[in-house]
Amino acid sequence: MIRELSYIDVLYLIAATRWTLALTAIAFMGGGIVGLAIALLRVSSLPPLRWLGAIYVHAVQGTPLLAWLFVFFFGLSIFGFTVSPWLAAAAAYSIYAGAFLGEIWRGCLQAIPRTQWEAGASLGLGFTQQLRYIIVPQALRLAIPPTVGFLVQLIKNTSLAAVIGFIELTREGQLTTATTFRPFTVYLIVAAIYFALCFPLTQWSRRLERRLHVAR
Amino acid sequence: MSLVELKNVVKRYGTNTVLNGVSLTVEKGEIIAIIGRSGSGKSTMLRCVNGLEPIQGGTVAFDGIVVNDPATDLRKLRQHVGIVFQSFNLFPHLLVEKNITLAPKVVKGVPPAEARALAEAVLRKVGLAEKIDAYPDQLSGGQQQRVAIARSLAMQPQLMLFDEITSALDPELVGEVLKVLEEVAREGMTMMLVTHEIGFARKVANRVVFMHEGKIWEQGPAAETLGKPRTPELETFLSAVLH
Repeated sequence: MIRELSYIDVLYLIAATRWTLALTAIAFMGGGIVGLAIALLRVSSLPPLRWLGAIYVHAVQGTPLLAWLFVFFFGLSIFGFTVSPWLAAAAAYSIYAGAFLGEIWRGCLQAIPRTQWEAGASLGLGFTQQLRYIIVPQALRLAIPPTVGFLVQLIKNTSLAAVIGFIELTREGQLTTATTFRPFTVYLIVAAIYFALCFPLTQWSRRLERRLHVAR
Repeated sequence: MSLVELKNVVKRYGTNTVLNGVSLTVEKGEIIAIIGRSGSGKSTMLRCVNGLEPIQGGTVAFDGIVVNDPATDLRKLRQHVGIVFQSFNLFPHLLVEKNITLAPKVVKGVPPAEARALAEAVLRKVGLAEKIDAYPDQLSGGQQQRVAIARSLAMQPQLMLFDEITSALDPELVGEVLKVLEEVAREGMTMMLVTHEIGFARKVANRVVFMHEGKIWEQGPAAETLGKPRTPELETFLSAVLH
């Protein structure tokens, strides 16, 4: 049953965007927590902890996000666990984003010269104090552009959650196309909405970067 | 009891032996100048004293505490042993005041108002009271190094280590840093300084230690040792640096 594309469809698309945003927020928060832990493991002075972090990063970066979504949504139900799409998505995206954010933040921590750690240690500061007062504040400034860059990737990657039943922006676009048969227009609108989400973010990141650079 | 006691210290990086059985004692109030070619192990020896370099043999003791004992709390020890580095290593994201007050506040729990007064006092000592609200990169190299000295002084250490602190400076800035160093020396601070400033060593140090190939090759009272070297190696070194 084919009908005309109307402004109502556009409103539906915009409404579906809230799921894209909600998924992004969950993925970013979950990934942030996991990523922080991974980054700290990776700069630890104990080799086994560093290996643990490295294994995690390589394992996750070497597997598709789609596979993680399937594992949590379909895989666990085979063993009799009923997993809601929200829970499965939250777990899969946290694992995925954690590996990438962890790697980004590790790079930022390691970009701070070793002599800064040494200066802190020489003044009697412990490892966590050096991290908190000396290393992290400097690394934060470096971390903003790549973190926002990854956030933009994340917004776009939330479309994969459609496979476990999420009707977010891209999936809504598919559904709209199916009933109106106007793929070009519909996907142009979908793309425009993604752009409207991502473009301000990159601009904001640039401004923040400049401001932090001036104020240290 | 000597304040610092190194006994047969051995330090290796892989197969490269940097310190090959170094023994040295430093008494309270002494000023020791450590000279030698680059690669002779002088900076490494200095860094062993506050435990920045783990060692492979021998013992390092400060005030009776064995620094290389894994059970020693290095954080506690380092509150009493200050070090100033060749490359200043100020914290670039913090104001001069915060650079100085960070450790007293975080490590010793000094209240903020008291810490600010402490920063003012140590900055006056190094002649930079007006720079308290500047960022490190707004200062010249010589000023940054003086702030680094002030930062170390603020912890009120019993011993201060100076690792070639004028080597990264433009020649015209060396004088202001040496002047501050002399001032610290005059107040009775125990100091170990690795330096290429032979004239300064002669003027300020009680004792000169000449290192060569990872060993203490020769040592003695400053004027005597620098005036009449007993080993050809020191003689060669001195004639090379003095010309």
